[in-house]
Amino acid sequence: MHATPVLRRALGLGVLKRWASVIALFALWEGVCRARLVDPFLLPALSEVLRRGAGELWSGELVAFTALTLYRTLAAFVLAGAIGIAIGVSMSLSAPLRWFGEPVVSFAFPIPKIALMPIFVLWFGVFDLSKIVMTTVAAVVTVISATHLGTRHIDKYLLWSAQSLGTHRRALFWKIVIPAALPAILTGLQIALPMCLIVSIVTEMITGGRGLGGYMIYASRFAESDKVFLGIFLTALIGYVLTEGLAMARRRLLAWHPEETVMV
Amino acid sequence: MPHIEIVGITKVYEQPAAPPIVALDGVDLTVEHDQFVSLVGPSGCGKSTLLHLVGGFISPSTGEIRIDGRPVTGPGPDRGIVFQNFALFPWLTVRGNVEYGLAEKGIPRRERRKVAQHFIDMVKLTGFEEVYPHRLSGGMQQRVALARMLACDPQILLMDEPFGALDAQTRLILQEELKEIWRQARKTVLFVTHDVREAVFLSQRVVVMTARPGRIKEIVDTDLPADAPRLAVDALAEDIWATLREEVLKAVVPGDRREQAP
Amino acid sequence: MTTIRFYLPLFLSLVAWQAAVTAGLAPAEMVPAPLAVFEGLWRLLRGGELLRHVGVSMYRQLAGFMLAAVIGTALGIGMARLEGVRLVFEPLLKLLYPLPKSALIPLLILWFGIGHNSKIFAIFLGCLLPVVLSVYNGSRGIPRWLVWSAQSLGTRPYRLLWKVYFPATLPDLLSGLRIGLALSFTLLVSSEFLIARAGLGFLIQSVGEMGDYAAMFAAILVVALIGFAADRLFVRLMARALRWQEP
Ligand SMILES: Nc1ncnc2c1ncn2[C@@H]1O[C@H](COP(=O)(O)OP(=O)(O)OP(=O)(O)O)[C@@H](O)[C@H]1O
Ligand SMILES: [Mg+2]
Repeated sequence: MHATPVLRRALGLGVLKRWASVIALFALWEGVCRARLVDPFLLPALSEVLRRGAGELWSGELVAFTALTLYRTLAAFVLAGAIGIAIGVSMSLSAPLRWFGEPVVSFAFPIPKIALMPIFVLWFGVFDLSKIVMTTVAAVVTVISATHLGTRHIDKYLLWSAQSLGTHRRALFWKIVIPAALPAILTGLQIALPMCLIVSIVTEMITGGRGLGGYMIYASRFAESDKVFLGIFLTALIGYVLTEGLAMARRRLLAWHPEETVMV
Repeated sequence: MPHIEIVGITKVYEQPAAPPIVALDGVDLTVEHDQFVSLVGPSGCGKSTLLHLVGGFISPSTGEIRIDGRPVTGPGPDRGIVFQNFALFPWLTVRGNVEYGLAEKGIPRRERRKVAQHFIDMVKLTGFEEVYPHRLSGGMQQRVALARMLACDPQILLMDEPFGALDAQTRLILQEELKEIWRQARKTVLFVTHDVREAVFLSQRVVVMTARPGRIKEIVDTDLPADAPRLAVDALAEDIWATLREEVLKAVVPGDRREQAP
Repeated sequence: MTTIRFYLPLFLSLVAWQAAVTAGLAPAEMVPAPLAVFEGLWRLLRGGELLRHVGVSMYRQLAGFMLAAVIGTALGIGMARLEGVRLVFEPLLKLLYPLPKSALIPLLILWFGIGHNSKIFAIFLGCLLPVVLSVYNGSRGIPRWLVWSAQSLGTRPYRLLWKVYFPATLPDLLSGLRIGLALSFTLLVSSEFLIARAGLGFLIQSVGEMGDYAAMFAAILVVALIGFAADRLFVRLMARALRWQEP
């Protein structure tokens, strides 16, 4: 019995067992479609989706759409990150800003910001700008609040020991405050990134046109279910790559943090 | 038939990515009905482990534990326990915690109230009935745990340093209370303590354990008459402490870090 | 009173906004002033139209959210307690996790059409994941001596679920639900924007298309206030249910 783990690993059986239910689900999907138990307009066979995918990728249009969605998502993410960290830190440093900012953030945090989309369309038109602004606004609140939370209550003993070791008051910010708040800020960014993808896809759906969101919503209107699934696969892929990338960056940046070694 | 039989017990804790820890190594102990037995031994020698085994929360690596001749297969309300870290239910108030076991037995509300109040009063927590555990001091939490166990009226009391977090005065009062309960209600008690005097005062037998891996080093008969002079208690405690001392010195090994388990 | 003082800057902003529009600093066409928005709100309210759409939206939100809460809790505890359940669902959740839930809306429209069900399902699927994950993580981390205490006090195995596992998981369950709550409103409005014949998202869009921007702003304000109020209410309930926790 003791030789089996080696054997199993060699055959990849562990992986197979771990993903068994997913494989079963995909097999069921294919089987049900092959047996013509469901309307192909509602559920195309998995093989059909993949074939369609290969064709569409070849044509290049879908690649362009994916790139466009990625561009909007990342542009909004970078904007939300930069603006959010700046505002969050400023709020911790300045009492008047806190007085104004805290109620705004507390109100904006739980509301469905996507409802503002028609306003941004009214102001900025239906193209890139309104989408990126909408996505930035949706994500920035999270970054502000995470940054503010992280910088507001810095352990005073950290500041004291740094000062007693000769750190100048003004250097404290970069030397102590930012590193100490980094876990909280990164957590905020990790919530903001998927949010950016969610929102930019919806903005594309609402205004129609190019991008993965538009692609899917048109496909849905014309009952081209294989295209809808293709869009879902691609967004899931983008989502996976983006969140994994950020998680990797976090592990790099926070190698010193005791929590990080446990959390993996 | 003895009440508790501990036969050839060994307990090895396997741990991922570290050598296994032998906590107990060949422990035999028999406790008669209505007997009060104390366990003393250096920190980390497996006293808590032994109590958890008798409680049926963990199972031995080898050996067997029998209660009234029947092997232990799991926890049950016949064996009440006060854990070293109290393990109160944080979502229940003091009253809720003390009433818990009674409710599980299906005892009606009014009756439950009455019994719980009796034990809350006994551990001097009158007036704290509606308070949640996180608002209590360590000593107060420990007394809730004691009341919670006693209210359930188990046959066997397993107590893991139940007075460890108490101030000296409360400690003395509760020692008397416990002795009284034991005398009147006829319980079998397995009692872990660091305080040798406490062990001698309360129990009929004191089991001295060796440093890890825990074995039984000596069992001392301490069944003094109720009116025994203080001097007799002190002398006996002195003897036991002398035996224990060697083991305690042995047990101070560097790097013996462990989870703060019950 | 402290609440009013805390939110004072928001009211002051409204005043500044009104002043800016009145002074002609911002085009009233594109940026209706607060008074115009309130007038628009009154118009929507008077016809009873607003209430009808609020009713439709709230029905969808509650149905999807409740469904996710119940099924998510059961699934989360099941995964933590039963190896079989975990083996089946863990990979499925891992697969679903990186997928932006809004990407499912077109499919749900295709499957369930224009009515309630496509929205309810979108909300259900979106909220399910945060609930399951937090319950799963929470009920894996239950200290074993709490279970031991309950057992030694005579709790039967099937009652452990209710007496220990549920209360010990409650903090995680509630914080998962709070995340789900915010997400549910986003998904509700998104799916109603895309295709609907009723509901607040539909209302916002239809008055916007008619060029009645004051009413559009008003409807957006209503959505925001509902989302905000729901969260406040939930936080209140949460604090009440978790009184026993250390602050
Ligand atoms: N769950 C566990 N996993 C691994 N090792 C454990 C575990 N519980 C206890 N041990 C180890 O077993 C040994 C005995 O532990 P135990 O808690 O029974 O000691 P103890 O006599 O009660 O000590 P103390 O007087 O400090 O409470 C210790 O060395 C400890 O490191
Ligand atoms: Mg111990």
